[in-house]
Amino acid sequence: MNKMIPSLAMALSLSLINPTLVTLASATVLTSATAAEATKAAPADLAQAPDKVAGDHDAPLDAQVQPASGDPANMSAPTPTSTRTSTLTSTPSPALPGEPTGAALAHTCAACHGTNGLLGDEYFMPLAGMPVTQFVTTMREFRSGERLATLMGHVASGFSDPEIQAMGEFFAAIASPPALAATAPGAKP
Amino acid sequence: MKLTNPDRRRFLAATLGLLSAAALPAWARPAGENAKAHVVIAGGGVGGCTAAKYLKLFDPALRVTVVERNPIYLRPYGSSEVLTQHVTLDDLEVSYDDLRCRYGIEFVIDTITGYDPQARTLSTAGGQSIGYDRLIVSPGIQLVYEAYAGLTEEVANSEIPAAWIPGPQTALLARQLQGMRQGGIFVVAAPPNPYRCPPGPYERAALAVEWLRPRNPRAKVIILDPRDSFVTDETMLLGWNRLYGFNLPEDYRQRLAQKVEVTEHAQPGMLSWVRGQDGGRLIGVDPQRGTVECEADTLAADVINVIPPQKAGALAMTLGLADGTGWCPVERRTFASSLQPQVYVIGDASIADAMPKSGFAANTQAKVVAQAIVADLAGQPAPEPVWENTCYALAGSDYGLFVADVFRLVDGNIARVNTSGRYLPLDASPMQIKLAARYQQTWLRTFTADCFA
Repeated sequence: MNKMIPSLAMALSLSLINPTLVTLASATVLTSATAAEATKAAPADLAQAPDKVAGDHDAPLDAQVQPASGDPANMSAPTPTSTRTSTLTSTPSPALPGEPTGAALAHTCAACHGTNGLLGDEYFMPLAGMPVTQFVTTMREFRSGERLATLMGHVASGFSDPEIQAMGEFFAAIASPPALAATAPGAKP
Repeated sequence: MKLTNPDRRRFLAATLGLLSAAALPAWARPAGENAKAHVVIAGGGVGGCTAAKYLKLFDPALRVTVVERNPIYLRPYGSSEVLTQHVTLDDLEVSYDDLRCRYGIEFVIDTITGYDPQARTLSTAGGQSIGYDRLIVSPGIQLVYEAYAGLTEEVANSEIPAAWIPGPQTALLARQLQGMRQGGIFVVAAPPNPYRCPPGPYERAALAVEWLRPRNPRAKVIILDPRDSFVTDETMLLGWNRLYGFNLPEDYRQRLAQKVEVTEHAQPGMLSWVRGQDGGRLIGVDPQRGTVECEADTLAADVINVIPPQKAGALAMTLGLADGTGWCPVERRTFASSLQPQVYVIGDASIADAMPKSGFAANTQAKVVAQAIVADLAGQPAPEPVWENTCYALAGSDYGLFVADVFRLVDGNIARVNTSGRYLPLDASPMQIKLAARYQQTWLRTFTADCFA
């Protein structure tokens, strides 16, 4: 499958948040029936995220809100290369505006699941080397509530299908030799 | 005299009396024409160390130096467990050795006294001058003791500990609790918003109750609170109701009773929560008489734990990174300071909208900054950020709860985007509740490893 498709699908779902992306994403997706399907399949998690209430989390309520940080020039000029290549290493590479790389998404898992998904003998599931389908299926089941969880249902509801796919590709590409995983929870891959 | 970077570095080398650049430590070595950039990190806590580690993961050729006052880190997360003898103060110690040895990160143990943002040099109490290409500041918090009548840092160190930044005050509070007379009163005064670790004061009170019950069954634990509600409140109060005979305030009782069975205890337990609307806001303390004054009353207490109002760590003030709010304004996409060039501010000190002042938040902010700096040094725009926060908290050793959030940049602000919920469900099974408690303990280890190993 064309590697650009998840990216474009995500760009479209994100475009509901970021209007500057609408033209770009819609125009491109219309050229590909497959991409349109992928878009349809993607849940509108992010689009349905109206809750921007900061108050109940003890964020500084009286803090001065800074102006939007996005540089308009950057927002309208995506780099032509796919970002998914970055999933093979942990080096960040240029991303389409509005779309975190698989690596960037995956690093938010590391506080519990280990740096690059590498974990020693702990209660949490190590993610390094997990087959993509296992990761994607599990996350989608967490998100739907089909799979019982403590907090993973809530976490999974913050990610779209293409984002879950991108994270899955990142972790699947991390080698997980048993000896390394067992002895060095924070070791480099 | 204005020196360019190479000039300045040669000047530095000369003043140190060193003939050869190779004799200098890596962080003071002059950069060659094509040398990799030097990223300096001020503050060796969760934010600073995560940033250092991930910078080296993303680009091992970078020179990364952490400047930190203390040679060993004391983790604040989980530090209330020292009060209840679940762990010792020594158990909170985190070494920097893994970051040094595995990743080649340099550590300078010294106190930063100032900097020159134009020349890009930090100066230290030890007389060092450290040049940088990018500076990440992760200064943490400071406690504003003087916000309350009768309270000073000296009083906190000797009589009324805050124990919110782990150290001698934590040990003092543990000794006070353990030595409290039978039937004594322990007062925990929660700070006003915003503050580090939003569920923390409530977890601390709950763990104190759990610990006191078999040892000091007639003791009382009173939370004085400037607020009427707090993050994780429903799940925490339900835990208190189940574990400690705590009767819910009427509005909570009505709300929760629609979703879950709430018990009305004929003999209320030892825990009380005095909300802002009931006069819980602290006014002052009298260490001589052992009293605390809140809006409702003046109470005699045996052990007083005042968690003072907070603002960005002193280092943020030294470096001119905080605004009138006492916190540090940043550009949300990169956490670049809004006030100083080539400086980034992360962690509790930063103004980050919906993100709480938590270690987990600092950890994901650090990763976003590391990616932004690597991109910036390569002449590329900052990648799209994503952040997360998971705060586990305990209502008891076997009763875990949490808040879990994913954050994205939405209309220029950091906003929560997970849609299904944030908290332990009120109808969670006993197994989910116990698992959350076990996960809290696991998280202390895995989180420390992601930041420091």
